[in-house]
Amino acid sequence: MKDKITIILFSGELDKAIAAFTLATTAAAGNMEVTIFFTFWGLNILKKERLTLSATQKLMQKMFNLMSTSSLPISRLNMFGMGAWMMKKLMRKTNAASLQDLMKLAKELGVKYIACTASCSVLGLTAANLVGEVDEFAGAATYLSEAKEAKINLFI
Amino acid sequence: MTSAIKANKSIDCTGLFCPMPIVRTKQEMVGMKSGEVLEIVADDPGFAKDLPAWCGLTGEKFMEMKQEGQFFTGYVEKK
Repeated sequence: MKDKITIILFSGELDKAIAAFTLATTAAAGNMEVTIFFTFWGLNILKKERLTLSATQKLMQKMFNLMSTSSLPISRLNMFGMGAWMMKKLMRKTNAASLQDLMKLAKELGVKYIACTASCSVLGLTAANLVGEVDEFAGAATYLSEAKEAKINLFI
Repeated sequence: MTSAIKANKSIDCTGLFCPMPIVRTKQEMVGMKSGEVLEIVADDPGFAKDLPAWCGLTGEKFMEMKQEGQFFTGYVEKK
């Protein structure tokens, strides 16, 4: 049986997402089975479009979806987006893999995505708002049943 | 770069950072036959440790890591 790793991706920040996907792709390349559980702000990474407003959302859900989008900040020195812009520019300059590159690779290498249904409900998000690469919509029990079998479990 | 090890295939990962040299190595190994040798050239200093560690994960056979200036050349035999 393959060794297994799970990552809870709670944060919606570019730098933390890159760290998570660097580990996910490396583990998958190392023949490990990889599951990423996206919850709370981590769902921003999966948003298909920048704006995820819909008629069924309550006012406060709309506010969250307006202010917390797929345009990810960085966790330190974001400076209203200038930090994130600089970081992306720097990464292109130094030829480091972008988050998009890593996410494409993750899928090619068979990394499994689970989106947290409770967070989706709280934030007014549906499957239609998220990228098609999500394999499952589920909750904590599904995550724990996978984590129980895994050798490495990370919360990012 | 001359080597006693005969590689069946060689990939150039210079200019790439973690995790790309390892991911490229994995992608290249998929198409190779058992006993064939892959040569990987990289200049990310972490690669010198990462390649043998990756071989430990996958069970592929780590053969050698050479350094020439800032360049690292690793050899892996497909199991």
